[in-house]
Amino acid sequence: MSADTTRPLTDVVCRLSDLEDGKAYGFDPFRKGRDTVFVVRRGNKVHAYVDICPHYGSTPLPWKKNAYLTGDAQHIFCSAHGAIFDIETGVCVLGPCLGQSLTSVQVAISEEGEIRFFLEAHDKLICKPVVTN
Amino acid sequence: MKIIGPDELVFGVDSVEACAAFIADFGLKHSGEKDGSGFYEALDGTGLSVYRKDDPNLPPPLPTNSMLRNTIYGVEDQETLDQIRAELSKDRQVRIQPDGTVEAVDDMGFALGFRVTRRRKLNLLPERINSPGAAPQRGFNEIGANEDAEALPRTLSHVVYFVPDAAKMEAFYVERLGFTLMDRFTGGGPFLRPALNTDHHTLFLIQTPEYMKGLEHFAFHMQGPTELMLAGSRMVKKGYQSFWGPGRHKFGSNWFWYFNSPMGTHAEFDADMDIFDDKWEARELPMKTEHSQIFLLEHREKWAPGG
Repeated sequence: MSADTTRPLTDVVCRLSDLEDGKAYGFDPFRKGRDTVFVVRRGNKVHAYVDICPHYGSTPLPWKKNAYLTGDAQHIFCSAHGAIFDIETGVCVLGPCLGQSLTSVQVAISEEGEIRFFLEAHDKLICKPVVTN
Repeated sequence: MKIIGPDELVFGVDSVEACAAFIADFGLKHSGEKDGSGFYEALDGTGLSVYRKDDPNLPPPLPTNSMLRNTIYGVEDQETLDQIRAELSKDRQVRIQPDGTVEAVDDMGFALGFRVTRRRKLNLLPERINSPGAAPQRGFNEIGANEDAEALPRTLSHVVYFVPDAAKMEAFYVERLGFTLMDRFTGGGPFLRPALNTDHHTLFLIQTPEYMKGLEHFAFHMQGPTELMLAGSRMVKKGYQSFWGPGRHKFGSNWFWYFNSPMGTHAEFDADMDIFDDKWEARELPMKTEHSQIFLLEHREKWAPGG
Protein backbone atom coordinates (compact mmCIF):
# COMPACT_ATOMS: atom_id res chain seq x y z
CA MET A 1 0.00 0.00 0.00
CA SER A 2 1.79 3.19 -1.13
CA ALA A 3 1.16 6.80 -0.29
CA ASP A 4 0.96 8.79 -3.52
CA THR A 5 3.38 11.50 -4.56
CA THR A 6 0.65 14.08 -5.11
CA ARG A 7 0.53 14.55 -1.34
CA PRO A 8 2.30 17.57 0.06
CA LEU A 9 5.80 17.19 1.35
CA THR A 10 6.66 17.41 5.00
CA ASP A 11 9.48 19.65 6.18
CA VAL A 12 12.99 18.26 5.87
CA VAL A 13 13.30 15.54 8.51
CA CYS A 14 17.02 14.86 8.09
CA ARG A 15 19.76 14.49 5.51
CA LEU A 16 20.82 11.26 3.84
CA SER A 17 24.25 11.73 5.43
CA ASP A 18 22.59 11.55 8.88
CA LEU A 19 21.43 8.01 8.16
CA GLU A 20 23.90 5.16 8.59
CA ASP A 21 23.65 2.42 6.01
CA GLY A 22 21.68 -0.56 7.32
CA LYS A 23 20.14 1.34 10.26
CA ALA A 24 16.63 2.51 11.13
CA TYR A 25 15.43 5.86 12.47
CA GLY A 26 12.08 7.14 13.72
CA PHE A 27 10.71 10.60 12.97
CA ASP A 28 7.92 12.83 14.26
CA PRO A 29 7.32 15.13 11.25
CA PHE A 30 4.03 16.49 12.59
CA ARG A 31 5.16 17.05 16.19
CA LYS A 32 2.72 14.60 17.70
CA GLY A 33 5.12 13.91 20.58
CA ARG A 34 5.99 10.41 19.37
CA ASP A 35 7.59 8.97 16.23
CA THR A 36 4.99 8.26 13.55
CA VAL A 37 7.21 7.34 10.58
CA PHE A 38 10.43 5.32 10.43
CA VAL A 39 13.04 4.76 7.73
CA VAL A 40 15.63 2.09 6.97
CA ARG A 41 18.60 3.08 4.81
CA ARG A 42 20.00 0.48 2.43
CA GLY A 43 22.76 1.89 0.25
CA ASN A 44 21.33 5.04 -1.28
CA LYS A 45 17.75 3.85 -0.92
CA VAL A 46 15.60 4.96 2.00
CA HIS A 47 12.59 2.76 2.79
CA ALA A 48 9.97 4.56 4.85
CA TYR A 49 6.92 3.20 6.67
CA VAL A 50 4.21 4.42 9.00
CA ASP A 51 5.17 3.39 12.54
CA ILE A 52 2.06 1.26 13.08
CA CYS A 53 2.00 -2.54 13.15
CA PRO A 54 -0.80 -4.09 11.04
CA HIS A 55 -1.42 -6.62 13.87
CA TYR A 56 -3.69 -4.35 15.92
CA GLY A 57 -3.64 -1.52 13.37
CA SER A 58 -2.96 1.19 15.92
CA THR A 59 0.20 0.42 17.88
CA PRO A 60 3.88 1.25 17.27
CA LEU A 61 6.72 -1.17 16.51
CA PRO A 62 9.83 -0.23 18.45
CA TRP A 63 10.73 -1.01 22.05
CA LYS A 64 12.75 2.14 22.29
CA LYS A 65 13.73 5.08 20.08
CA ASN A 66 14.96 3.85 16.67
CA ALA A 67 14.78 0.16 17.69
CA TYR A 68 13.01 -1.12 14.55
CA LEU A 69 15.26 -3.93 13.31
CA THR A 70 16.14 -7.51 14.24
CA GLY A 71 19.58 -8.07 15.80
CA ASP A 72 21.13 -8.94 12.43
CA ALA A 73 19.48 -5.87 10.84
CA GLN A 74 18.06 -8.05 8.05
CA HIS A 75 14.38 -7.47 8.91
CA ILE A 76 12.07 -4.91 10.47
CA PHE A 77 10.93 -6.16 13.90
CA CYS A 78 7.79 -5.36 15.86
CA SER A 79 8.62 -5.61 19.54
CA ALA A 80 4.97 -6.00 20.60
CA HIS A 81 4.70 -9.67 19.53
CA GLY A 82 7.81 -10.39 17.50
CA ALA A 83 6.50 -9.97 13.94
CA ILE A 84 9.22 -9.52 11.31
CA PHE A 85 8.87 -7.67 8.02
CA ASP A 86 10.83 -7.51 4.78
CA ILE A 87 12.74 -4.19 4.70
CA GLU A 88 12.17 -3.49 1.00
CA THR A 89 8.48 -4.43 0.73
CA GLY A 90 7.17 -4.05 4.30
CA VAL A 91 5.47 -7.46 4.13
CA CYS A 92 5.23 -9.49 7.36
CA VAL A 93 7.11 -12.75 6.77
CA LEU A 94 6.73 -14.27 10.25
CA GLY A 95 4.52 -13.45 13.19
CA PRO A 96 0.97 -12.52 14.14
CA CYS A 97 0.27 -10.41 11.03
CA LEU A 98 1.70 -12.86 8.52
CA GLY A 99 1.06 -11.65 4.97
CA GLN A 100 -0.05 -8.17 6.07
CA SER A 101 2.07 -5.14 5.25
CA LEU A 102 3.39 -2.06 6.88
CA THR A 103 2.07 1.11 5.20
CA SER A 104 4.84 2.46 3.01
CA VAL A 105 5.56 6.17 2.77
CA GLN A 106 7.03 7.82 -0.34
CA VAL A 107 10.34 9.53 0.30
CA ALA A 108 11.72 12.57 -1.54
CA ILE A 109 15.49 13.03 -1.51
CA SER A 110 16.76 16.35 -2.90
CA GLU A 111 20.04 16.78 -4.74
CA GLU A 112 21.55 18.06 -1.50
CA GLY A 113 20.42 14.88 0.27
CA GLU A 114 17.54 16.49 2.20
CA ILE A 115 14.84 13.97 3.08
CA ARG A 116 11.13 14.70 3.17
CA PHE A 117 8.05 12.48 3.18
CA PHE A 118 4.96 12.68 0.97
CA LEU A 119 2.55 12.67 3.89
CA GLU A 120 -0.12 14.89 5.43
CA ALA A 121 -0.58 15.62 9.11
CA HIS A 122 -4.17 14.46 9.09
CA ASP A 123 -3.36 11.22 7.24
CA LYS A 124 -5.02 8.39 9.08
CA LEU A 125 -1.85 6.80 10.44
CA ILE A 126 -3.76 3.64 11.32
CA CYS A 127 -4.19 0.49 9.24
CA LYS A 128 -6.81 -2.24 9.11
CA PRO A 129 -5.99 -4.71 11.89
CA VAL A 130 -5.73 -8.49 11.59
CA VAL A 131 -8.89 -10.23 12.84
CA THR A 132 -7.92 -12.44 15.77
CA ASN A 133 -10.90 -14.79 16.05
CA MET B 1 -1.43 -30.30 42.45
CA LYS B 2 0.50 -28.00 44.77
CA ILE B 3 1.67 -25.62 42.06
CA ILE B 4 2.47 -22.10 43.29
CA GLY B 5 3.01 -20.13 40.09
CA PRO B 6 5.49 -19.25 37.33
CA ASP B 7 9.01 -19.04 38.81
CA GLU B 8 10.95 -18.33 35.64
CA LEU B 9 10.43 -17.55 31.96
CA VAL B 10 13.22 -18.54 29.59
CA PHE B 11 13.76 -16.63 26.33
CA GLY B 12 15.94 -17.42 23.32
CA VAL B 13 16.51 -13.98 21.85
CA ASP B 14 17.75 -12.13 18.87
CA SER B 15 19.97 -9.72 20.80
CA VAL B 16 21.14 -10.66 24.30
CA GLU B 17 22.67 -7.20 24.66
CA ALA B 18 19.39 -5.39 23.95
CA CYS B 19 17.41 -7.68 26.26
CA ALA B 20 19.98 -7.39 29.04
CA ALA B 21 19.72 -3.59 28.99
CA PHE B 22 15.92 -3.66 28.86
CA ILE B 23 15.47 -6.19 31.67
CA ALA B 24 17.95 -4.40 33.92
CA ASP B 25 16.13 -1.10 33.33
CA PHE B 26 12.83 -2.89 34.01
CA GLY B 27 14.26 -3.51 37.50
CA LEU B 28 15.38 -7.15 37.64
CA LYS B 29 18.78 -8.01 39.10
CA HIS B 30 21.25 -9.90 36.90
CA SER B 31 23.00 -12.95 38.30
CA GLY B 32 24.13 -14.56 35.03
CA GLU B 33 27.01 -14.31 32.58
CA LYS B 34 29.18 -11.30 31.69
CA ASP B 35 27.64 -11.10 28.22
CA GLY B 36 24.26 -10.30 29.78
CA SER B 37 22.76 -13.76 29.34
CA GLY B 38 21.35 -15.81 32.19
CA PHE B 39 18.98 -15.09 35.04
CA TYR B 40 17.43 -11.78 36.11
CA GLU B 41 15.49 -11.85 39.35
CA ALA B 42 12.76 -9.93 41.10
CA LEU B 43 12.91 -9.37 44.86
CA ASP B 44 11.49 -12.82 45.66
CA GLY B 45 13.76 -14.85 43.39
CA THR B 46 11.30 -15.35 40.52
CA GLY B 47 12.42 -13.89 37.20
CA LEU B 48 13.42 -14.19 33.56
CA SER B 49 16.40 -15.65 31.80
CA VAL B 50 17.67 -14.81 28.33
CA TYR B 51 19.97 -16.74 26.04
CA ARG B 52 20.86 -16.49 22.36
CA LYS B 53 18.11 -18.04 20.25
CA ASP B 54 20.56 -20.63 18.84
CA ASP B 55 21.65 -21.82 22.30
CA PRO B 56 21.57 -25.64 22.06
CA ASN B 57 20.49 -26.06 25.71
CA LEU B 58 17.10 -24.43 25.14
CA PRO B 59 13.94 -26.42 24.40
CA PRO B 60 12.95 -26.18 20.71
CA PRO B 61 11.10 -22.98 19.75
CA LEU B 62 7.42 -22.73 18.87
CA PRO B 63 6.87 -22.75 15.08
CA THR B 64 6.16 -19.00 15.12
CA ASN B 65 8.36 -16.03 15.93
CA SER B 66 7.87 -16.30 19.69
CA MET B 67 11.10 -16.00 21.69
CA LEU B 68 9.63 -17.77 24.74
CA ARG B 69 11.36 -21.14 25.11
CA ASN B 70 10.24 -22.33 28.56
CA THR B 71 7.76 -21.52 31.34
CA ILE B 72 9.06 -22.96 34.61
CA TYR B 73 6.56 -23.39 37.45
CA GLY B 74 7.48 -23.48 41.12
CA VAL B 75 5.76 -26.21 43.16
CA GLU B 76 5.55 -26.93 46.88
CA ASP B 77 7.57 -30.13 47.19
CA GLN B 78 9.11 -33.19 45.55
CA GLU B 79 5.86 -35.13 46.06
CA THR B 80 4.12 -32.64 43.78
CA LEU B 81 6.84 -33.09 41.17
CA ASP B 82 6.29 -36.85 41.32
CA GLN B 83 2.52 -36.37 40.87
CA ILE B 84 3.06 -34.10 37.86
CA ARG B 85 5.52 -36.53 36.33
CA ALA B 86 3.09 -39.44 36.79
CA GLU B 87 0.15 -37.46 35.41
CA LEU B 88 1.88 -36.11 32.30
CA SER B 89 3.70 -39.38 31.53
CA LYS B 90 0.29 -40.87 30.73
CA ASP B 91 0.27 -39.26 27.31
CA ARG B 92 3.55 -37.44 26.57
CA GLN B 93 7.27 -37.57 26.97
CA VAL B 94 8.48 -36.27 30.33
CA ARG B 95 12.18 -35.53 30.93
CA ILE B 96 13.88 -35.06 34.29
CA GLN B 97 16.78 -32.61 34.34
CA PRO B 98 19.85 -33.28 36.55
CA ASP B 99 18.57 -30.65 39.01
CA GLY B 100 15.22 -32.46 39.31
CA THR B 101 13.21 -30.13 37.05
CA VAL B 102 10.38 -32.05 35.37
CA GLU B 103 10.08 -31.04 31.69
CA ALA B 104 7.22 -31.61 29.29
CA VAL B 105 5.28 -29.81 26.58
CA ASP B 106 1.67 -28.66 27.02
CA ASP B 107 -1.15 -29.34 24.57
CA MET B 108 -0.29 -26.33 22.37
CA GLY B 109 3.42 -27.02 22.27
CA PHE B 110 4.61 -24.59 24.98
CA ALA B 111 7.62 -26.05 26.83
CA LEU B 112 6.98 -26.34 30.57
CA GLY B 113 9.23 -27.02 33.52
CA PHE B 114 8.30 -27.83 37.11
CA ARG B 115 10.64 -27.63 40.10
CA VAL B 116 10.46 -27.07 43.83
CA THR B 117 9.93 -23.34 44.01
CA ARG B 118 12.88 -20.98 44.38
CA ARG B 119 10.71 -18.05 45.30
CA ARG B 120 11.44 -16.55 48.69
CA LYS B 121 8.78 -15.34 51.10
CA LEU B 122 8.84 -11.54 51.13
CA ASN B 123 8.23 -9.36 54.16
CA LEU B 124 7.94 -5.84 52.80
CA LEU B 125 5.86 -2.73 53.34
CA PRO B 126 2.72 -2.30 51.26
CA GLU B 127 1.82 1.04 49.69
CA ARG B 128 0.44 3.11 52.54
CA ILE B 129 -2.47 5.41 51.83
CA ASN B 130 -4.12 8.17 53.83
CA SER B 131 -7.87 7.88 53.25
CA PRO B 132 -10.50 10.15 54.86
CA GLY B 133 -12.83 8.18 57.08
CA ALA B 134 -10.18 5.57 57.82
CA ALA B 135 -7.12 5.51 60.06
CA PRO B 136 -4.14 7.09 58.25
CA GLN B 137 -1.56 4.57 57.09
CA ARG B 138 1.36 7.03 57.06
CA GLY B 139 2.49 8.81 60.18
CA PHE B 140 2.55 12.58 60.65
CA ASN B 141 5.26 14.28 58.53
CA GLU B 142 5.74 11.07 56.54
CA ILE B 143 5.92 11.86 52.79
CA GLY B 144 4.16 9.66 50.21
CA ALA B 145 5.53 11.09 46.93
CA ASN B 146 9.24 10.30 46.81
CA GLU B 147 10.73 10.59 43.33
CA ASP B 148 13.87 8.79 44.46
CA ALA B 149 12.04 5.77 45.86
CA GLU B 150 13.19 2.41 44.57
CA ALA B 151 10.61 0.75 42.31
CA LEU B 152 11.73 -2.87 41.97
CA PRO B 153 9.51 -5.70 40.72
CA ARG B 154 8.65 -7.97 43.64
CA THR B 155 7.44 -11.17 41.99
CA LEU B 156 6.59 -12.72 38.61
CA SER B 157 2.82 -12.29 38.49
CA HIS B 158 1.45 -13.87 35.31
CA VAL B 159 1.86 -14.82 31.66
CA VAL B 160 -0.58 -14.52 28.77
CA TYR B 161 -0.42 -16.90 25.81
CA PHE B 162 -1.92 -16.58 22.34
CA VAL B 163 -3.25 -20.08 21.58
CA PRO B 164 -5.11 -21.58 18.59
CA ASP B 165 -7.37 -23.70 20.85
CA ALA B 166 -8.05 -21.98 24.15
CA ALA B 167 -10.65 -24.57 25.20
CA LYS B 168 -8.23 -27.47 24.81
CA MET B 169 -5.51 -25.55 26.59
CA GLU B 170 -7.85 -24.64 29.45
CA ALA B 171 -8.78 -28.31 29.85
CA PHE B 172 -5.09 -29.22 30.07
CA TYR B 173 -4.32 -26.74 32.87
CA VAL B 174 -7.56 -27.31 34.78
CA GLU B 175 -7.96 -31.08 34.47
CA ARG B 176 -4.33 -32.22 34.34
CA LEU B 177 -2.58 -29.62 36.51
CA GLY B 178 -5.37 -28.56 38.87
CA PHE B 179 -5.66 -24.89 37.89
CA THR B 180 -8.94 -23.11 38.69
CA LEU B 181 -11.03 -21.03 36.28
CA MET B 182 -11.38 -17.55 37.78
CA ASP B 183 -13.14 -15.47 35.09
CA ARG B 184 -13.67 -15.69 31.36
CA PHE B 185 -13.80 -13.39 28.33
CA THR B 186 -16.24 -14.92 25.83
CA GLY B 187 -14.49 -15.13 22.52
CA GLY B 188 -11.25 -14.41 24.31
CA GLY B 189 -10.27 -16.99 26.87
CA PRO B 190 -10.01 -18.01 30.52
CA PHE B 191 -8.17 -16.54 33.50
CA LEU B 192 -6.58 -19.39 35.49
CA ARG B 193 -4.75 -19.76 38.78
CA PRO B 194 -2.88 -22.78 40.19
CA ALA B 195 -3.99 -24.42 43.46
CA LEU B 196 -1.54 -22.72 45.81
CA ASN B 197 -1.84 -19.20 44.39
CA THR B 198 -4.47 -16.76 45.64
CA ASP B 199 -3.90 -14.18 42.86
CA HIS B 200 -6.70 -13.68 40.32
CA HIS B 201 -4.60 -15.30 37.62
CA THR B 202 -1.12 -16.53 36.77
CA LEU B 203 -2.20 -17.59 33.27
CA PHE B 204 -4.57 -15.96 30.78
CA LEU B 205 -5.22 -17.54 27.38
CA ILE B 206 -6.34 -15.67 24.25
CA GLN B 207 -7.86 -17.53 21.30
CA THR B 208 -6.03 -16.61 18.04
CA PRO B 209 -5.08 -18.20 14.70
CA GLU B 210 -2.27 -20.78 14.79
CA TYR B 211 0.38 -18.48 13.31
CA MET B 212 0.02 -16.10 16.24
CA LYS B 213 0.86 -18.70 18.88
CA GLY B 214 3.21 -17.30 21.50
CA LEU B 215 3.52 -14.94 24.44
CA GLU B 216 1.33 -11.84 24.55
CA HIS B 217 2.99 -10.57 27.71
CA PHE B 218 4.47 -11.31 31.10
CA ALA B 219 3.87 -9.24 34.24
CA PHE B 220 5.62 -8.52 37.52
CA HIS B 221 3.88 -7.33 40.69
CA MET B 222 4.97 -3.94 42.08
CA GLN B 223 4.39 -2.70 45.63
CA GLY B 224 1.35 -0.66 44.60
CA PRO B 225 0.00 1.83 42.05
CA THR B 226 2.44 4.61 42.97
CA GLU B 227 5.46 2.37 42.56
CA LEU B 228 4.00 1.16 39.25
CA MET B 229 3.69 4.77 38.02
CA LEU B 230 7.23 5.54 39.11
CA ALA B 231 8.66 2.46 37.39
CA GLY B 232 6.71 3.10 34.18
CA SER B 233 7.58 6.80 34.08
CA ARG B 234 11.25 5.95 34.45
CA MET B 235 11.00 3.53 31.52
CA VAL B 236 9.39 6.24 29.38
CA LYS B 237 12.04 8.75 30.40
CA LYS B 238 14.74 6.26 29.36
CA GLY B 239 13.16 6.16 25.91
CA TYR B 240 11.29 2.85 26.10
CA GLN B 241 8.01 2.52 24.23
CA SER B 242 4.86 2.35 26.32
CA PHE B 243 2.28 0.06 24.70
CA TRP B 244 -0.81 0.29 26.92
CA GLY B 245 -1.44 2.03 30.20
CA PRO B 246 -1.29 3.05 32.87
CA GLY B 247 -4.76 1.82 33.71
CA ARG B 248 -6.70 -0.62 35.85
CA HIS B 249 -8.20 -3.91 34.63
CA LYS B 250 -11.72 -5.13 35.42
CA PHE B 251 -10.85 -8.82 35.75
CA GLY B 252 -8.22 -9.07 38.47
CA SER B 253 -8.51 -5.35 39.33
CA ASN B 254 -4.78 -4.96 38.87
CA TRP B 255 -3.25 -1.70 37.75
CA PHE B 256 -1.24 -2.24 34.57
CA TRP B 257 1.35 -0.58 32.37
CA TYR B 258 2.72 -2.49 29.37
CA PHE B 259 5.90 -1.80 27.43
CA ASN B 260 7.19 -3.17 24.12
CA SER B 261 10.38 -5.17 24.60
CA PRO B 262 13.25 -6.63 22.57
CA MET B 263 12.04 -10.08 23.68
CA GLY B 264 9.21 -9.51 21.15
CA THR B 265 6.54 -9.48 23.84
CA HIS B 266 5.11 -6.96 26.29
CA ALA B 267 6.65 -6.43 29.69
CA GLU B 268 4.02 -5.37 32.20
CA PHE B 269 4.23 -3.75 35.60
CA ASP B 270 1.13 -4.64 37.59
CA ALA B 271 -0.11 -3.86 41.11
CA ASP B 272 -2.90 -4.45 43.62
CA MET B 273 -4.44 -7.58 42.13
CA ASP B 274 -7.48 -9.18 43.78
CA ILE B 275 -6.97 -12.38 45.78
CA PHE B 276 -9.43 -15.26 45.97
CA ASP B 277 -10.34 -18.53 47.67
CA ASP B 278 -12.32 -21.52 46.44
CA LYS B 279 -15.67 -19.83 47.13
CA TRP B 280 -15.25 -17.58 44.06
CA GLU B 281 -17.73 -18.05 41.22
CA ALA B 282 -16.30 -17.28 37.80
CA ARG B 283 -17.73 -14.30 35.91
CA GLU B 284 -18.08 -14.03 32.16
CA LEU B 285 -17.95 -10.92 30.00
CA PRO B 286 -17.68 -10.42 26.24
CA MET B 287 -14.15 -9.65 25.02
CA LYS B 288 -14.63 -5.92 24.36
CA THR B 289 -12.41 -2.93 25.06
CA GLU B 290 -14.89 -1.56 27.60
CA HIS B 291 -14.40 -4.72 29.70
CA SER B 292 -10.65 -4.68 29.43
CA GLN B 293 -10.08 -1.74 31.74
CA ILE B 294 -12.14 0.43 34.11
CA PHE B 295 -10.03 3.43 33.15
CA LEU B 296 -6.98 4.22 31.08
CA LEU B 297 -4.56 7.10 31.52
CA GLU B 298 -2.14 8.44 28.97
CA HIS B 299 1.39 9.42 29.94
CA ARG B 300 2.50 12.90 29.03
CA GLU B 301 5.43 15.13 29.91
CA LYS B 302 5.39 16.61 33.40
CA TRP B 303 3.42 19.81 33.55
CA ALA B 304 2.49 22.50 36.06
CA PRO B 305 -0.11 25.23 36.09
CA GLY B 306 1.12 28.81 35.93
CA GLY B 307 0.16 32.34 35.06
